[in-house]
Amino acid sequence: MLPAIAPGDWLLVDPTPATWPRRGSVVVVREPDTGELAIKRLAAGPGDSVPFADGRLMLAEDEAWLLSDATPETAAAAGFGEPRDSRRYGPVPLELLVARVWFRYAPWRGIGPVRTAGS
Amino acid sequence: MSRLTRWLAPRTVVRAHCDLPCGIYDPEQARIEAESCYNIIKKMGANPDPSFTTRAILIKEARADLAKHALDVLWHDYFKPEHLATVPNLHELFWTATKQVSTVKASTDLADAQKLLDLIDEIDAAWKATGGEEKTRVAGRPG
Repeated sequence: MLPAIAPGDWLLVDPTPATWPRRGSVVVVREPDTGELAIKRLAAGPGDSVPFADGRLMLAEDEAWLLSDATPETAAAAGFGEPRDSRRYGPVPLELLVARVWFRYAPWRGIGPVRTAGS
Repeated sequence: MSRLTRWLAPRTVVRAHCDLPCGIYDPEQARIEAESCYNIIKKMGANPDPSFTTRAILIKEARADLAKHALDVLWHDYFKPEHLATVPNLHELFWTATKQVSTVKASTDLADAQKLLDLIDEIDAAWKATGGEEKTRVAGRPG
């Protein structure tokens, strides 16, 4: 999730993301395929449509579309494979959203609010 | 770490991971497991001992699961959308092959195991046609 979040950042989170799924915010999610806690950006929320295959996919009232900030190209340049996000596991039920990341309190140089994309 | 830092430190760790594929893929991995299934069926035909049959069934089912896993990894990780131009029936081929593994898992018919080997050979041809041999082994396929 560079440059928004770097490895080792200490973050404060708001535990009510499922109630207020805000587009562009960074969220903690329990990944649908592995059950692990992961951090992703909420690219689209309930009722939005997202590009999918050759058309668009309409999200249901209880679904969100989560994306990594890394593109496949930047991930490959860093020696990784495909980012693991909704492009892999599809829409994510809102109930799997655990928290919204809103503030970084360490390290010193990074202290401040974690910005919502587009804000 | 000071007591204050320890108190302030987060209790939960979250990740933002990507895949980290090793980049090594070869249908041979699936073929060896499928050949195990073939030979186990052959041995079962030659030995009517019930305890031998029981063990053979268990081993064959485990090998079939390994074959299916190896095929899934090739399908999901090695093959990419652009390969469909070279192998238009790619999805049909993998779908048929993985279903054939399920058939072999439950079957004691040598013809079923042979059909799986033939399908894996087709996948091998697709892997070669898309440059797999040069790209996905450390020094090409041995021998």
